[in-house]
Amino acid sequence: MRQPVPPSEISPAARFWAEFQESRVAVVALAVVVLMLGVAIFAPLVAPQNPYDLANLVLMDARRPPGFVGSSGYTHILGTDAQGRDLFSAILYGLRISLQMGLIAGTLAFTVGVTLGVGAAYLGGRWEAFIMRVVDLQLAFPAILLALVLSALLGQGKMQLIAALAAAQYAYFARTAHGAASAERGKDYVEAVLSTPLPAWRVVLKHIFPNCLPPLIVVATVQVASAIALEATLSFLGVGLPVTEPSLGMLISNGFQYMLSGRYWISIYPGIALIVLIVAINLVGDRIRDQVNPRLKR
Amino acid sequence: MTDTPLLDVADLATFFHARAGVVKAVDGVSFSLKRGEVMGLVGESGSGKSITGFSIIGLLDPPGRIERGSVKLEGRELVGLPPDELRAIRGKAISMVFQDPMMTLNPMLTIGDQIGLALEAHESVTGTERRQRAIAALAQVRIPDPQTKVDFYPHQFSGGMRQRVAIAIALLHRPRLIICDEPTTALDVSIQAEILAEMKELVAQLGTALIWISHDLATVASIADHVCVMRYGKIVEAGPVLQVLTRPQHPYTQGLLDSLPSRAKPGAMLARGAGTDAAPPPRLPRQAESGHRRADLPYVVIETVGKRFQRKSGVLRLLAQKVGLLGPLPAVQAVDHVTLSIARGEALGLVGESGSGKSTLGRIVAGIYAPDSGQILLDGEPVMSPGDRPHKITTRIQTIFQDPFASLNPRMRIGDSIAEGPLAHGLVGRAEAGTYVAQWLAAVGLDPAFAGRYPHQFSGGQRQRVAIARALAMQPDVVVCDEPVASLDVSIQAQIINLLLRLRQELGLTLLFISHDLSVVRHLCDRVAIMHRGKIVESGPAGEVYDNPRDAYTQRLLAAVPVLPVA
Amino acid sequence: MLGHILGRLGQALVVMLVMSALVFVGVYAIGNPIDVLIGPDVSQDIRLDTIARYGLDQPLHVQYFTFLGRILQGDFGRSFVFGMPVLDLILSRLPATLELTLAAVVGAALIGIPAGIYAGYRPDGLAAKAIMTISILGFSVPTFWIGLVLIMAFAVELQWLPAGGRGATVSVFGVEWSFLTANGLSHLLLPACNLAFFKLALMTRLARAGTREAMLSDTVKFARAAGLSEWTVLRRHVLRLIAIPLVTVFGLEFASTLAFAVVTETIFSWPGIGKLIIDSITSLDRPVMVAYLMLVSFVFIMINFLVDLAYVGLDPRLRRAGSR
Repeated sequence: MRQPVPPSEISPAARFWAEFQESRVAVVALAVVVLMLGVAIFAPLVAPQNPYDLANLVLMDARRPPGFVGSSGYTHILGTDAQGRDLFSAILYGLRISLQMGLIAGTLAFTVGVTLGVGAAYLGGRWEAFIMRVVDLQLAFPAILLALVLSALLGQGKMQLIAALAAAQYAYFARTAHGAASAERGKDYVEAVLSTPLPAWRVVLKHIFPNCLPPLIVVATVQVASAIALEATLSFLGVGLPVTEPSLGMLISNGFQYMLSGRYWISIYPGIALIVLIVAINLVGDRIRDQVNPRLKR
Repeated sequence: MTDTPLLDVADLATFFHARAGVVKAVDGVSFSLKRGEVMGLVGESGSGKSITGFSIIGLLDPPGRIERGSVKLEGRELVGLPPDELRAIRGKAISMVFQDPMMTLNPMLTIGDQIGLALEAHESVTGTERRQRAIAALAQVRIPDPQTKVDFYPHQFSGGMRQRVAIAIALLHRPRLIICDEPTTALDVSIQAEILAEMKELVAQLGTALIWISHDLATVASIADHVCVMRYGKIVEAGPVLQVLTRPQHPYTQGLLDSLPSRAKPGAMLARGAGTDAAPPPRLPRQAESGHRRADLPYVVIETVGKRFQRKSGVLRLLAQKVGLLGPLPAVQAVDHVTLSIARGEALGLVGESGSGKSTLGRIVAGIYAPDSGQILLDGEPVMSPGDRPHKITTRIQTIFQDPFASLNPRMRIGDSIAEGPLAHGLVGRAEAGTYVAQWLAAVGLDPAFAGRYPHQFSGGQRQRVAIARALAMQPDVVVCDEPVASLDVSIQAQIINLLLRLRQELGLTLLFISHDLSVVRHLCDRVAIMHRGKIVESGPAGEVYDNPRDAYTQRLLAAVPVLPVA
Repeated sequence: MLGHILGRLGQALVVMLVMSALVFVGVYAIGNPIDVLIGPDVSQDIRLDTIARYGLDQPLHVQYFTFLGRILQGDFGRSFVFGMPVLDLILSRLPATLELTLAAVVGAALIGIPAGIYAGYRPDGLAAKAIMTISILGFSVPTFWIGLVLIMAFAVELQWLPAGGRGATVSVFGVEWSFLTANGLSHLLLPACNLAFFKLALMTRLARAGTREAMLSDTVKFARAAGLSEWTVLRRHVLRLIAIPLVTVFGLEFASTLAFAVVTETIFSWPGIGKLIIDSITSLDRPVMVAYLMLVSFVFIMINFLVDLAYVGLDPRLRRAGSR
C-alpha cells in the first residue's frame, strides 16, 4: 500500500535552488551580483579613497590614465576623473548609489504593483476592470518617458527620482501579479480552501500570494536591472540625481565630455561596472524565468 | 516477401539521460505486426507505451535516445536512418494520431491548409487538386459538409471533429501503419464510441495496420486483435485480446483486470485495492443542531438551482447595446434549474459528459460558486449567506477535486494543508493539531511521518489521499467528490475507490459523486442522476437506471461504454 | 467584427481624453499656470491680461474644456524658447525622429526575428548560445552607453562615420529626409544602430522563447509525424504560432522607440522631437512638453489600435468571436 517517498523533506525553495545551480552561468552571475552588492554596502571600507572627502581632491592629478601614481603616492588602478578623484573608489561609491536607487524603487514598485494586481484579481468585477485598464494604459506608455516627465515635474532629488522610477515600473508588477493571481485563483487548491471555507484574506495571503512569487521574482530582477539602467540614463540626460549623489550614470555622464579627447577611462570604466551589474542581474533572472516556465518543463 | 512482418520491433530500448540519472522508458521491447493487423499496447502511466510509439516513428524529444534494438518496416531498418529518410517514411508509410486533439492542430491555419501541408510533404499537387483531396479526406472520416468545413479553423470544431481531422491527415497517404497514442482518452464516451467504430472500419477497408496505445483495457478490447501489456518499459504479457483479457497469465495483467470496478460487484472492495488503513479519528461532537431543522425536508436539497456564465459587457459595449448597435454577449446556461435531493447517508452519482454542467453543479453544492437562482439546503439550512456577495457559511460540506496535482497548495507542507481548516474553525487546538493530522494521515493509508513533506514529493494517488484527509478533517457530513479518480491509473483508482467506500461507511458520510465514468459511479453510488446540457434527464436507483434506462440520452450513453469480454 | 473595431475605437477615444486630462493636470495645474503661458520677464499688465484671456480665473473644469477646445483646433500655444507655434515646431522635427525610429525598429525586426527563431530552433547549438549572449548584452547595456561606445569606436577612433547631426537631406513632399542621400545615410547609420540594439535583443529573445515553446508543442510534433520538412514546419507552423506576440511587441516597441529616441537623439545631436523634449524639459518650455506628450500619446493609442486590428487579422479565433 505505502509507496516509497523520498527519504527527507525537500521544500519547494530547496528544490528551486538545486535546479538553479544546474546552470553554471547563472551561479556565476548570482555570485557577481552578491559580490557587487557586498562591495557596494561596504564601499567605505573597501574603497582605497573616499572620493568625496575634499582632502582627496588634487586637481593636479585630474584626468590621469589607469595605473597613474598620484602625488600622495597612491596608484590609481583605473585612473582619475576630472576632479582628480580615484576612479576605482568613485565607481564603488557610485555602485552604492545606483544599487540603492534600483532596490528602493524596485521594492516600492513591487509593493504597489503586487497589491494592485493581486487586489484586482481578488476583487474582480468593475474594480478589476478599472485597475487593469489603468495598468494596461500605462504599460503602453514607455517607462523612460514617464520617468522623464515625472522627474522633470517633481524636480531633482533622490526621493523624486525614486518616485518617478517606481511610478514607471509598478505596472509591470501589477500586470504579472494579476495574471498569476487570476491563474492561481482558478486552481483547485484555491477552490478547496474556499470551500473549507477559510476567510478571504487568508486565502489571498497564505495561498494565492506565495504561489504568485516565482513569476514576480523574474519581473523583479528585470525591473531592478532596468531601474538601475533607467536611473543611469536619466542622470546622463541631466534630469536624474542631483550632482551631490554621483551614481554610475552620473560618472559616465561626467566622463562623456572627455571621451572625444581620448580620455576614455573616465566614462568607460563606470560603464563597464554598470553593465556587469545589469548583465549579471539579467542572467539570474533569465535562469529563473526558464525554471518557472511550465511550458518548457518536460 | 509475404513472410516478412510489416513491422518488426526487436529488443528496442529507449533511455532518457536526465541529470538525475538514466530513465529506462523502454527497456527491451519486442513484437511484430502483420499487414492489416490491429495491436493494442496497454499500460499504466510511465509504462513506456507512448515512448515505444514515438521510438518507432523516430520522433523522440531530447534527451531521449534509442539505445539499442531494431525497428524494421517491411525488412528495412529504421533505427539509425538519417533524418531525411525517416521524414520520407513519416506520414507516408507510418503515421501517427495523438492524444489531445485540442493541442495537435494549429489554431492559426485552416483545416484545408493543414491537410494541404501534410499532402505536400510527400506529393506535389496543384492548388485545386489540393483542395479536392482535402475535401475527400474530410469526407472519408465522415465530417459532414466537407466543402464548407475545409475552410474552417480548428476552434470551430469540437474535440471529436478535430480528432477526425487528425485521423484524416494520418490516413492521407494510405500508410501501411498508423500509431494511435490514446486517441480517445480526451474525448467523451459517446464520441469515443463513434471514433472507435469508424477507425475499425477504416483500417479494415484500407488494410492498414494499427497500433492502438491506451491505458483503457476496454477500448483496446473493442478494437484490437492482439494486445501487449507493458509495465516499467517491458512487455509483461502478449497474445490475442480475448485470451489475455479472459485468461491472463501474468499477475500484473490479472491485477489490472481486478482493479476495474466494472468487473466487481457494486459496493464491494476491489481486489487489488485492499489495504490495511487505520481507523479515522472518532467524530468530534457537533455543536447542537440549530432549530431550523425541518423533518419534512430531505437531508440535502438542491432547489431549482441555475447558473449562467456570461462575459461582462464593458461600459462602451453596454452603451452600444442600448443603442442597438450590438447584441448582448453570448451566455452559457451551465446549470438549468436543477432540482435534486440526497438522503442522509446516501451516495448520489452525478453523471454527464464534458460541458454537461455537472462540475458547476458540484461547485454550487460545495459552496464554491453562488447560484444565480435557487438554493442549496443542508439539514434545512442554507449553505451560502444571503446578500450581494454570498459566501459559504457551513463547514459541513467539503470537497475532493479531480486533479491531485492541482488540488494541494504546492508551497505548503501537507500536514499544514490538512490542519489549516480545522485550526481556523476551532475544531482542534494548536496543541493537538499534530496528533489530529497524524490520525487522518493514518486513516487514509499514509505514514503519519509524511506530514512535514510537500506535495511534489508524493505520487498522484498519495496526493489524492492527502486531499481526502484534508476534506474529512473538517468533519463534514456531506462530501462532494468531483471526478476524484478520473486522473489516476486503474490500480491506484481501485485503491482510492476502496478508501472512499470504507470511509463513507465508517463515518456515515453523504456523498455527491461526480463522474463521467459510468462504471465507477455504478460501483460507488446508490442513486444516479444523468446530466445533459445543464439539465437532469433521468435519476433513480443505480441498478434501475443502468438496467432499464428510460431517457434516450441515457440509453445512448450506456450503449457507448466499451465492454470487456468476460470469460 | 464591426463591434470589435467600434469598441476599440471608443476605447481609444476615452484613453485619449484621459491622457489629455492627465497632461493638463500634470503640466498646467501643478505649479503656477501663468508661467506656462508667458515668459517670466513680462510686465504685470500683460500678466493680468493673459490670465483673463486664457480664463485662468475660471474654475478648473472650465479651464480644462477650454484647453481641450484649443487642442482640437491645433492650437498648442507658442514655444518660449523658439518663439514659434508649437505645432509647427514639432511637425518640423517629427520626420527626423520617424525616420530614425523606423530604421531602427525595422532593422531590429529583420535581424532579430530570424536570429531568435534560429536560436529557439536549436537552443543547444553554439550559434544559438552566441546569439543569446549578444541579446542579453543588448538587453542589459543602457542605450546611452552603447551610443558613447559607438561614437568613440566609429567616429573618433576609426573615423568612418560622423558623430552627430543629420547630414544632407532631400526634400520629398515638402519634408526633409536623410536616408535618400549617401551622406544622410552615413549620418543615420550610427544612431539607428544605437537605437536598434535594445529592440534587436528584445525581439530576438521573444522570437526565441516563442519558438522554443512551439517546438515542444503537440502541433509541431504532429506536423513532424505527418512528414513535414523542418523548413515547412518552421515557416508555416511555427511562424504563425509566434506571430501574435511578435506583432504586439513590434507595435509597442515602435511606440517606445519613439520615446527612447530621446537618448539617442541627445547623444548624436539628431534634430528630432526627442532632442526637442529634452531641451524643453531643461528649459521648462511647457507648451512644447504638453504638445509632445499629447502627440506621443496619440501615436501610442493609434499603434495600440492597429495592433488590435492586426490581432483580428492574425488570430482566426478572434475573427469569429468578433463576428458574432
